[in-house]
Amino acid sequence: MSEAALVGLFVATVQFATLVFLAALGELIAERAGVLNLGVEGMMAMGAVSGFMVGLETGSPWAAFFAAAAVGALVGGLHALVSVLLGADQVVSGLALTIGGLGLAAYVGRNVVGERPETLFTDLGIAGLADIRWFGDIFFNQPPVVYLAVLLGLAVWFVLTRTRLGLALRAVGESAPTTDAVGHSVMALRAGAVMVGGAFAGAAGSFLSLYMAPGWTEGMVAGRGWIAVALVIFGAWRPGRLALGALLFGFTLALQPRLQSFDIELLGVQVNRISPALLGILPFVLTVVVLVIISWRYRHRPSPAPAALGLPYRREER
Amino acid sequence: MIRPVLVRRDKVVPATQAVAFVVGIAAALVLGLILLWTSGHNPAEVYERMFDAAFVGTDSLARTLERATPLALTGLAVAVAGSMGLWNIGAEGQMMAGATIAAGVAMTADGLPGPLLIAVMVVCGVAGGMVLMLGPALARSHLGVSEIITTLMLVYVAIRVVEWLETGPWKDPESFGFAVIEPVPEQASLPGLFGRANIGTLIALGLLLVFSLAVSRTAWGYELRLAGSSPNTARYAGISLRRKVLTALLLSGGIAGLAGAVQLTGSATRLESGLSNGYGFAGIIVAALALMRPSGVAAAAFVFGAVQVGGQSIQTLGVSSAISDILQAMILFGALMAAVFFNYRIRWSGPAGQASSDDDQAEAGDDTMALEGT
Repeated sequence: MSEAALVGLFVATVQFATLVFLAALGELIAERAGVLNLGVEGMMAMGAVSGFMVGLETGSPWAAFFAAAAVGALVGGLHALVSVLLGADQVVSGLALTIGGLGLAAYVGRNVVGERPETLFTDLGIAGLADIRWFGDIFFNQPPVVYLAVLLGLAVWFVLTRTRLGLALRAVGESAPTTDAVGHSVMALRAGAVMVGGAFAGAAGSFLSLYMAPGWTEGMVAGRGWIAVALVIFGAWRPGRLALGALLFGFTLALQPRLQSFDIELLGVQVNRISPALLGILPFVLTVVVLVIISWRYRHRPSPAPAALGLPYRREER
Repeated sequence: MIRPVLVRRDKVVPATQAVAFVVGIAAALVLGLILLWTSGHNPAEVYERMFDAAFVGTDSLARTLERATPLALTGLAVAVAGSMGLWNIGAEGQMMAGATIAAGVAMTADGLPGPLLIAVMVVCGVAGGMVLMLGPALARSHLGVSEIITTLMLVYVAIRVVEWLETGPWKDPESFGFAVIEPVPEQASLPGLFGRANIGTLIALGLLLVFSLAVSRTAWGYELRLAGSSPNTARYAGISLRRKVLTALLLSGGIAGLAGAVQLTGSATRLESGLSNGYGFAGIIVAALALMRPSGVAAAAFVFGAVQVGGQSIQTLGVSSAISDILQAMILFGALMAAVFFNYRIRWSGPAGQASSDDDQAEAGDDTMALEGT
């Protein structure tokens, strides 16, 4: 394996990590407030297509990025309406959001398949640092979304753990009646968390369509939204661990298309002779294995999941 | 500030879910109308074409049944797990696994007479679905790993494996370079009913009936539902939750595997990576609409089969078939919302959450009384 290939692998690791981290961070916010949203895949698809179309129209990747976030928030809003305000089953509503979101994205984007926007996100060479051997390319010559994701991760950690709003959000995820009794609006907190989470997922989708795989094709999210959902469990609902998990999954996602070109032998098998379709199962198998290991570790301890996760709240029925 | 609060109705609307389903269909059609209108199509023409393609004439009905069959089977698969409060999101993958094993059997035992070969394929299909479910089921029953994500992840695994088989080991040498698997032997196709419908539809109906009775009328079914709704009671009654979780999930996987085998011997000609065609995912909506009841699964699967046939037919009008995915999700959203309003009514409540009508009156005057009702 050449040096350039190795650096390329880690550059891609950071980018894939950013992709799943952004989406998972949004899901983390919603889940900390007690709302499971299985619609991440659909919200990402909607973000990807709407970001891409705005990018085509305006030529501004940032306008596209924020438009995608707004669309993600809107799509998340549907989940908030149905599962938070009306109290319907969160699993059902989230799944419908994924199926409907994928369908709607396919429909909305049917005329822009194969087009290519003129301006995409460009790598941000940070003066002085980008030239450092190896590390420069991996850490200091990435698109701006990567650094934004780091900032957002810090911001979410700060808000959740160091502010009154964060305390209220975490409280509503542990026990809605208690939070209600204290005088916070359960509905506003939860609906807000779901919509912010949707904005993160939508933004992640546009990072996909405006940088990582410029363009729009049906099914381009390809299960990354689901990996983001799993990542929240891996991260034990904490932003810091989420970032670590994102790097691990980012590495796997980056490794998979590159294994083809690596002339190495693993367990007596020539890696570059394995079919790409088979290598494609790697991130998904890893997810299952990781989930099993985590549950094994927590088998004698209480789960770190928010206690009220998945439970709708109706004041009249407490 | 006066806020709306949802209050459970004393008298529930009769046949709530059936009515909610109809409301869901209506809501989806209205939304579809707006979508079609704004993208420059003539909604009336599109809907007419969809209706004709799905219902008018025996050929159309046969097509609808052909599509409804895998939907009913995957819907049943999801519902069996769902009657215990478990979510099998991976019926799509188990369907693929079932079809793959069945196709493997057909390749190695292609000398067998038709009925026998089909029987073996179907049994092995069930086993294939169960095998893919085994990991998630054990992880759930013994470690409490959420079956939602594990079952879903294996969908991608199953589809990729079929892609691999297509391009590599099972590639048909007589396919002129195309990456396809050889067709299943001729004697291994299910007898037809009429049009494109085959007896797979009857298999699905029969299974729905069996499970409908098993879940609602047998001790086994009662224990299953009890274990789902009140695990502590079930444990106290001596029911092994682990075993119940395992059986429910494995059965669910097996039925989805059966759907794969039926699809392979029924309307498909060969194993291909598009064989599951979203049926497993749509089956989740079907089961959710049916509130996990097998009888409802039949009705929802029929409607969804029609929506999908209709969605295919409008491509000739230049309308994307993605419309049918949107309609399916919207039917569920509409039904979910309608069901809430059938079970609850809105009461306008005062600022501190005072729900008593006296306070409402004091805060907001007489307006609230009209909504009060009771």
